[in-house]
Amino acid sequence: MSSIGTGYDLSASQFSPDGRVFQVEYAQKAIENSGTVIGLRGKDGVVLAVEKLVTSKLYEPGANKRLFTIDKHIGMAVAGLISDARAVAEVARTEAANYRSQYKSSIPLKYLNERVSMYMHAYTLYSAVRPFGCSVILSTYTEEDGPEMYMIDPSGVSYGYFGCAVGKAKQAAKTEIEKLKLKDMSCQELVKEAARIIYLVHDELKDKQFELEMSWIGSQTSGVNQQVPANVHAEAEKDAKAAMEEDSDSETEDI
Amino acid sequence: MHYNSVIEEKLAVSTSIIACVFDGGVALGADSRTSSGVFITNRVADKLTKITDNIYCCRSGSAADTQAISDIVSYHLAFQKAETGEEPSVATAAAVFQELCYNHREQLTAGIIVAGYDKVKGGQVYNIPLGGMCVEKKCAMGGAGSTYVYGYMDSNFKENMTEQEVKKFILHLLALAMSRDGSSGGVVNICIIDGQGPPRKEFYIGDQIPKYGI
Amino acid sequence: MAGVLATERTLPGFSFENCKRNSTLLQQGFKPPTAQKTGTTIVGIVYRDGVILGADTRATEGSTVADKNCSKIHFLADNIYCCGAGTAADTEMTTMTIMSQLELHRLNTGRPVRVSTAKQLLKQLLFRYQGHIGAALVVGGVDVTGPLLYSIHPHGSSECLPFTTMGSGSLAAMTVLESSWKPDLTEEEGKVIVRNAIAAGIFNDLGSGSNVDVCIIRKGSVDYIRPFDIANLKGQKQNNYRFRRGTTGVLSTRIIPLVTESEEIKKTEVESMDTSA
Repeated sequence: MSSIGTGYDLSASQFSPDGRVFQVEYAQKAIENSGTVIGLRGKDGVVLAVEKLVTSKLYEPGANKRLFTIDKHIGMAVAGLISDARAVAEVARTEAANYRSQYKSSIPLKYLNERVSMYMHAYTLYSAVRPFGCSVILSTYTEEDGPEMYMIDPSGVSYGYFGCAVGKAKQAAKTEIEKLKLKDMSCQELVKEAARIIYLVHDELKDKQFELEMSWIGSQTSGVNQQVPANVHAEAEKDAKAAMEEDSDSETEDI
Repeated sequence: MHYNSVIEEKLAVSTSIIACVFDGGVALGADSRTSSGVFITNRVADKLTKITDNIYCCRSGSAADTQAISDIVSYHLAFQKAETGEEPSVATAAAVFQELCYNHREQLTAGIIVAGYDKVKGGQVYNIPLGGMCVEKKCAMGGAGSTYVYGYMDSNFKENMTEQEVKKFILHLLALAMSRDGSSGGVVNICIIDGQGPPRKEFYIGDQIPKYGI
Repeated sequence: MAGVLATERTLPGFSFENCKRNSTLLQQGFKPPTAQKTGTTIVGIVYRDGVILGADTRATEGSTVADKNCSKIHFLADNIYCCGAGTAADTEMTTMTIMSQLELHRLNTGRPVRVSTAKQLLKQLLFRYQGHIGAALVVGGVDVTGPLLYSIHPHGSSECLPFTTMGSGSLAAMTVLESSWKPDLTEEEGKVIVRNAIAAGIFNDLGSGSNVDVCIIRKGSVDYIRPFDIANLKGQKQNNYRFRRGTTGVLSTRIIPLVTESEEIKKTEVESMDTSA
C-alpha cells in the first residue's frame, strides 16, 4: 500500500493532503479479501452468485449466507465483512418495510439504492465511526420496469449495472462477464454462466473450500426473490465443474 | 346570542359524494353545499379536491378537517414523487389518507373517497369512512345524502360503463340524493380521470339537473 | 406521519389541558369571563379590476357596544387586506402574526406575496388551534394571478369565492350580494354593493352597527376609505325643545351662604445635630 503511516489514515473524517480518505480505501481493501460475488442482469431477471469461502471443514454447510432477501421483490448479495453486511441488510430491510407500511406499495429499487447509499456514505463522514467493510449488490424485477441491479461500495457510491463483480477475483470475473451477451440472456442461461464464472475464478491453491450460493429474481419467479431451486443449482454446478475439467484437460494437453 | 352561534358552529360538508370505476378510468361526483348549522355558507363548494395530477378525492364531514388532511396528503405524495421520481399510485394515496384518518380518528370528522388513475392498476376507488378504515371498491358513496340512494346505486351501477353512461348514472344519483337530503344541494360536480390527459371537471346546474317526483 | 395534524399536547403554543376542567366548571354553574366579540358584518367581492372589502365598525361586549368606531379591515401585505369577525383579540393577533410572516416571506423571496399564501398560513394556524382561536376572516387581494377572495372559518376551512360575507350580519349581507353581484362589476358599482351589504348588516343585525369601512384593492394601488359611509347619521330634529328664560315663574328665593373650612398642614425641616466634634 502506498500510504502506510503518514497519520492521515486514523479517522474517516480526515482527508490526506492529496485528497484521499484512507479509511474508505482500507474498507475497499477489506472487500478484496472476500470471496468473489457477481451479479448478472439478463432480459427477464437478475442472477446473483457468491463464492462463499469456507475456512474450516468443521463448519456446517449453509452457514453465514451472503445472499439476503430485503423485501419479497428485492435480493441482495454481499462481499466483505459479513457482520457489517448484515447491518446493512437490516437497514435496507427496515427502509423497505417502512416504505411498504407508509405507502402500501413495494419500494422502488432506485429509491432503496439511494437510501442505502446515503446510509453507507454517512459512515465515511465522522471520526467516531468506521466505514462499512462491505460492498452490496441489490437486485429486483418488476413487471413495469423489468430487471434492475445496483452495486454500492463502502464510499457510498453506487451505479446501476448489467453485470458486476466484486471480491477477490473481480477482475477475472469481469473479463468473463464482458464476454456474455447479457441483454439477450434468460435467467436459466444466466444461472449456468454465473456458476461457471464462480468456479472459473475460484483459486483452488489459496482457498481450498467454497460454497456456491445463487439467487434469482425475474419473470419466472413472478418478481419474487428466491434461492435458485436445488435441481437447477445442482445442474448448473455440475456443468460448471464439467467445464472446469474440460479446461484443465486442454491445459495439460498444451503442456 | 344566536347570531354568534351561526358563525361558531363547525363548518360541515354535509354531503352526497360518489366515486366509481368505469371503462377506462374513474368518475367522481359531488353536490356543492357547505353549511354551518342551518346556514349555507357556500352553495358552490368544490368537494372534488386534487391530490396529485391523476388522483382526486371526494370530501365529506368537517370542511376544516378534510381540507387539512387533503393538504397533508398532497404534500406527502408530492414529496414521494420528488424523492422517487415516480408518479404516486392511487393505493399509496389511499394508504396515506387512511393512516392520517385512523391515527387521529378521535379528533377528526372526515369521510373521504379517494379515486384516481395510475399506470399499474388503472382506475381505482378507495373508501375511507369515519373510523379510518380503507376498502377498495368499484363504486363508493359517502355523506348524509348517500343513504337515500343506496338502492339506486345497487340497481343501476354496472361495471365497464362508458364515460357517457357513468356521467348519467352519477348525475341522476346525485339529483335524487340532493332532492331528498336537506344538507345536500346546489350544483352537481363531476370529474373524470382516465389517464388520457388531465382530469376533466364538469358541473351541472339548474335545468341540467334532472327533477324527480312532484 | 403522526403529529402532522399538530394536536399533540407536548407541542408549544396553546395548552388545552384546562378545557375539560373549564367545561366541568361551566356545568356546575360557573360564570366565565366574556371576551369582546365583534358581532360583525364583513363582506368581500371581486370586481373587474380587483377586490373590494367592506366592514362595519361596531365592537360589542355582550349587549353593550364596546367601540363605536373600531377598525375591522386589517393590513396583511401591500396587496392583501383581511376583514375579521369573531373574537376581536383573536382576529387582531392572527392578522398581525400572519402579516409579519408574509413580510418575511416577501423579503426572502423578493416578490409580492400571493393571496393564496396568506390564506394557507391563516388556515393552517387556525386549524392548529382547532377553533379555539375565534377568527372568521375574509381575505382579499391582488397578485400575479389576478384578484382573489377567500373566506376562512375559525376551524381552518377556506373557500375561494367571487363574493363572500362573514360574521353575525352575514345573513343580511348575503341577501344583498346574492341579489346584486354580477361578474365584471365596475369599481363604482362594486362600492355601492359593498356599502349596501354592510348597511344591511348594520340595520338588521344587533351585533353590527355604526359606519361602513371600505377597502378597494387594485393591481398596484389600494384605497382604504374609513369611514366610507356613516349609515346611521344623527338626523336633524324637526322641533326645538329649548324653553325661553322665565317660562317657569319664580315663586320664592332663599340664599344659603356657603361656609368653607380649611386646614393647612406645613412641613418643617428636621433640625440636624452637629456630631462632628
